[in-house]
Amino acid sequence: MLSLKNLPRKNLQGYAGRTAALLLFSMLMAAAVFGGSMIVGGVLRGLSEAEARLGADIVVTPAEANSRFDAQTVLLQTEPGYFYMDKGKLAEVAAVEGVERATPQRYMASAKAGCCSMRLQMIAFDPETDFVIGPWLKDSSLSEMGLMDVVIGSNVTVYNDNVIQFYDRECRIIGQFEPTGTTLDNCVYMNFETVNELINASFEKRLNLYERYNPEDVISSVMVRTASGYDTERVAADIRARVSGVSVATAKNMVSGISDGLKRISRSITLTAVMLWVIGLFAVMLIFVMMIHERKREFAALAAMGADRDVISGIVGREAMTVCLAGGAAGIFLSAVLLYSFGGFIGHSLGAGMVVPSPATAMLLAGFSLGSSLLAAKAASMAAVRYICKTDAGLVLKEGE
Amino acid sequence: MKLEARGVKKDFARGGNSGSVLEAVKPLDFSLESGELVEITGRSGSGKSTLLSMMAGMLVPTGGSICIDDTDIYSMKEEERSRLRNDRIGLVPQGHTALRSLTVLENVMLPFVLYHRETPPEDRAKELLQKVGLFDMKDERPNALSGGELRRMAVARALLMKPEVLLADEPTAGLDDENVELVMELLRSAADEGASVLLVTHENEARKYADRVFNMDGGRLCSN
Repeated sequence: MLSLKNLPRKNLQGYAGRTAALLLFSMLMAAAVFGGSMIVGGVLRGLSEAEARLGADIVVTPAEANSRFDAQTVLLQTEPGYFYMDKGKLAEVAAVEGVERATPQRYMASAKAGCCSMRLQMIAFDPETDFVIGPWLKDSSLSEMGLMDVVIGSNVTVYNDNVIQFYDRECRIIGQFEPTGTTLDNCVYMNFETVNELINASFEKRLNLYERYNPEDVISSVMVRTASGYDTERVAADIRARVSGVSVATAKNMVSGISDGLKRISRSITLTAVMLWVIGLFAVMLIFVMMIHERKREFAALAAMGADRDVISGIVGREAMTVCLAGGAAGIFLSAVLLYSFGGFIGHSLGAGMVVPSPATAMLLAGFSLGSSLLAAKAASMAAVRYICKTDAGLVLKEGE
Repeated sequence: MKLEARGVKKDFARGGNSGSVLEAVKPLDFSLESGELVEITGRSGSGKSTLLSMMAGMLVPTGGSICIDDTDIYSMKEEERSRLRNDRIGLVPQGHTALRSLTVLENVMLPFVLYHRETPPEDRAKELLQKVGLFDMKDERPNALSGGELRRMAVARALLMKPEVLLADEPTAGLDDENVELVMELLRSAADEGASVLLVTHENEARKYADRVFNMDGGRLCSN
């Protein structure tokens, strides 16, 4: 049934080409706003997760590892790596004044070979002194790890239930961590006994660069917690001065390095989203006014039938709102599908850790994006109504065809 | 209802920087009574369509007034004037004025839905389409209609709200003799039922249906 309420929808259907163009630009605008804000939100959430997971104030690694280990990008690097130093470094680091706790970690990488389920970074910790990974286990309500028990990062996909294989040794998966958006999500966590087994297995298969080492005599890093009242930078400087052959990075520097990069990325994404929105807005306004110009005789005819400015504004406003909201909803949906499907890939492409925001945040951002679509609809309808008001309906009708 | 033009005139500024004006309608008095059908003839550009637009409340006169029952319609607010047009004036504008997204039947019902939430008077719209010979095309889109059929559709649309005043600008343009008769009989019967009907045309076929005929030339209205 014909009514003033469904007239705008019918009008939009009557001008399918222009309506499709309007839908496309509205979709692009909403996708830019929603996608952009989701990515920025995801990147910031990733940073905060990474900060929380880092857990240590200072990270000490072998100096010779510098070519394969960059403290500023360790949370983002994609290629698994491993390096070792004498375990005696732990005692040296622990002896430095201002070091409250020091715990070793031992790294290993699985091989791109049939003996391993997939290429992954392995991180082993010492349960007796650990203060970094233990709290994650506790937060995730996971039990203590035994020999050949592992916990996997959120990005690690396992096809064989609860079992993952490295160097032909099967490990039992006892849990999986929540995502951080960093390479910590691509790691497998285990205790020292397990990693020793795996390192020895890699020696047997001649798939380890460090065959001269006894795994029990080496560590990859020392994670340090600074005692309260001590300045972390000064403690780090002391470690540098007193312990030879090591590279020392503070968590603050590691995170600020990432943080600066992420802020740059976030700024670029925000700027791109704003630019796309503004370009979209101009396009929507232009197409909408062109559509109204094309239909100026129709609007003059409506005026001849007795439609006043409010009625005409209402028709135009509802047309703009219908097309912008429909396009906006489609843009948000498309953007959400892409983000939830390829969030990890997008994060890697940007060189940033990214955790897709929670559904509640996503809903909030979707509402904000729809709000921006409504704003565009309002602007387009105002421009169109202004054009109609400037046009004298009497003269338009008098012009004939 | 009496529709009256009192000393009404309309000037249009000419293009360029000369500042000169075109006097499309020179000051004139004219009235239209209930139950009569008045025809204004004249060549293109004589000012007859301009006069009709002013009488419909669509074009603000440069001087004088247009009164309905002694009320100057241009002293009313735009919304009041629009509402008056919707309720009491049926207007058949020049050219094609159909909304292309609607069917012929929906186009005819359109004046009703502008201010009413009730179900549109479909039976009356169909009856009018029957009278103008377009009933079989009621579900077609306007782009399927010829120019003459669109004119007839516009006449049916103008009659939907049973207007007290019917103003028609070239309602028979492009129609064959048979359809001119059809439309003129419809306008005549509207007048016979009490409406004030004014039609402007540059054709002579309507003369036999008119109670009074005027000629317009160079913006001046002369009685024939």
